[in-house]
Order: sequence, then C-alpha cells, then structure tokens
Amino acid sequence: MKKAPFFVGYLPVPRDLRVFLWIICALLVVGAGAAGYAVGSTQDNPGDGAFRFDYGRQTVTGVIELTPLPLLHVTEGNDRIPAGRTLMMTAGGKAGVPDRAAPLEGQLATVSGVLLERGDLDMLQLRGGQGGLRAAEGDAPAVTPEPLGRWKLTGEICDGKCLAGAMRPGRGLAHKACANLCLTGGIPPVFVSTQPVEGAEYLMVTGPDGTAMPDAAYDRVGQFITVEAEITRHGDLLVMAIDPATMEVSD
Amino acid sequence: MTGGEFIVRLAQIWLTAGAVTGALFLTIGMDRIDEDARGAYVFRPLLVPAVLLIWPLVLWRWFVLETGRDNWAARHRPPRKQHLVVAIVLAGLILISLTAGLMVRQSWPGDVAPEQLTRAVGEGQ
Repeated sequence: MKKAPFFVGYLPVPRDLRVFLWIICALLVVGAGAAGYAVGSTQDNPGDGAFRFDYGRQTVTGVIELTPLPLLHVTEGNDRIPAGRTLMMTAGGKAGVPDRAAPLEGQLATVSGVLLERGDLDMLQLRGGQGGLRAAEGDAPAVTPEPLGRWKLTGEICDGKCLAGAMRPGRGLAHKACANLCLTGGIPPVFVSTQPVEGAEYLMVTGPDGTAMPDAAYDRVGQFITVEAEITRHGDLLVMAIDPATMEVSD
Repeated sequence: MTGGEFIVRLAQIWLTAGAVTGALFLTIGMDRIDEDARGAYVFRPLLVPAVLLIWPLVLWRWFVLETGRDNWAARHRPPRKQHLVVAIVLAGLILISLTAGLMVRQSWPGDVAPEQLTRAVGEGQ
C-alpha cells in the first residue's frame, strides 16, 4: 500500500506534493492580486486633497464670524491665503475650534496652522493654544453675509476636514462613521454639490436660523441626497442652512 | 424603547447573567468538575471576562461534565469534516457581501443641476 504524502513544515516537501503546492501558491498570489485589483477598481478616485505641509506654517489675520461654526474673513493674508479669503478652521484630530473662536466673535484674530487643500476647498488646521488662535489688535471690519435665496441641491454632506485632504477617501458611505465623529467634534460639515452653485462646488452646512447642522442630517452623511436650503454668501464661501424636512435620499 | 436602548438593555441582561454564572462557577462549579483546580484560586479572576461573554457555553460544559455525559475522545477529535463546508460558505459570504455592497451603492447624480426655488429678498429687483 502506497503511503500518502504528508506535509511537515520544517521537513523537505514530499515529492508528490510539490506540483500541488506550486499551483496553490501561484493561485493564491494571482488570485489575491486579481481580487484586490477587482475590488479596488470599483472604488471612486479619492481625489488629490492633502495636508499642505509643503506650504509651511500659514499665519493670517482676519475677522471671526460664527455661523455658528467659526469662519475667518482674512484681512491680512499672505501669498497662499490672500486678503478677502474666507477660511473654515479645525483643530488637530477630530475636533473643531468653536469653543476657542466663540469669545472672539466679530473681532480681529490671528490664526496659524497648516492648510488642507482640495481644489477650491481649503481649511486651516490651527496649532494648539494661543499660537493657533489669538486676538489681534485693530478694528474689525463689519462682515455682512449676502443672501442668495432658497435652493434645491443634490449632493453629499461630508466632514470638511477629511474631504479637504485629511483622509483619502474623505467621503462616501464607507467614511460615514469617521465623518460623523468629526462633525460631532465641531469640524465644519461641507456639502459637495453635483454642479456648482453660484460658482461654488463646496458649501458649508448649517441648520436653519443660525443653528448647527440638525441631528437628522447626521443620518444622511455620506449618502447622495437632495435637500432644500437657504444659501448665503459669507465672503468667498457659500453657507447653506439646510431644511432637514426636505432631505431625501437621491435615487 | 429605541433600537439603541434595546441593544444596551440586552447587553446588560447578558452580562448580568454572565456575572451570576461566573460567581457560581468560579466558586462552586469549578471545584466539582475539575479536580486539578481544587485549592487554586489566584487564576480564577482571570476567567471572569470570558465567563461574562460565553456564559451559556460555561453552563453547558458544567452540565455535561457534572452529569458524566462528556465524551472526551469525541470532543478532541478534530472537526475536519466541517472545514471544507465552512471554507466554501465563508468564501460565498465574502462574494455575497461584495456583490450586495456594490448593488446598494448609489451612483453620483452628477446630472442633477442646482435649482433656485426663491430669490433672496431684494435680489433681481
């Protein structure tokens, strides 16, 4: 009776098993690679958003406005962030800066940090403490938002930081849990519109009547939705106050 | 009761039952079914987290050993007959999960244009 070959890891491979093992090895390498490629090819392009550490630390001065999340209307800029820009801001990790910025509402402030950039969307991640955000000397010019009426938009609510480049991909259903953690931490939500609205593809999201984004919207983060909103221009940034009752998942 | 509250309540009940089982098994049951454990106590608290989670299995094994129904030879026989079936089922589940994920995935509605419903007060006059 012929003995069946028996594989022992620390002994030479039995002759009768060599071909079989080579075939298995080849199938695993080729199969796993092909499966990885097939799954990867179904994913959307994550885009070119990124932390711009290559720009170096950015320090600019401007007026703080609360929407209720804070914006900075730059009055003294630099080469990268010229005067007239409107910046969304974030802290490190999954935290925003509403508590730090609130005492400076309507005042001049100097902010410093690293820029995140994805196309026309950018956000400044502030350094910790006074080095990242502090009051500045001088009179703050008045900031007057410009109402643009009520719109019906289709697109996706994302967390602005990951979308701008903190993560790749920083959007989509697979990113929903991360996005909601960022948003509850005070990072500005951003709506990606299917087509530009008044020239802007990205709009900051708030709730109606100067409130924060409503809880109902958290359930729809990362999904393609249609929603009605009052849009207002704040400097060069559009802010949309969504009406949660009109929110529908897109077909 | 919301879905979240129901899940938390279920977890509380499960862990409470595990605590009661652990208290009984680690103080009484273990000495009755494992003679090697008699007189050894320091290691028993290490078992508490596992007993909290898999207390039904602990109760079942306690019952089997206590009543002399244990067939140790059968228990240690490798369940190799099941391996092929389990491997095929798992491979199938991966494929089903991937396919289902792709089927329910939304398509980016890039052809839907923004629509202005009302103009701002004073705009366009």
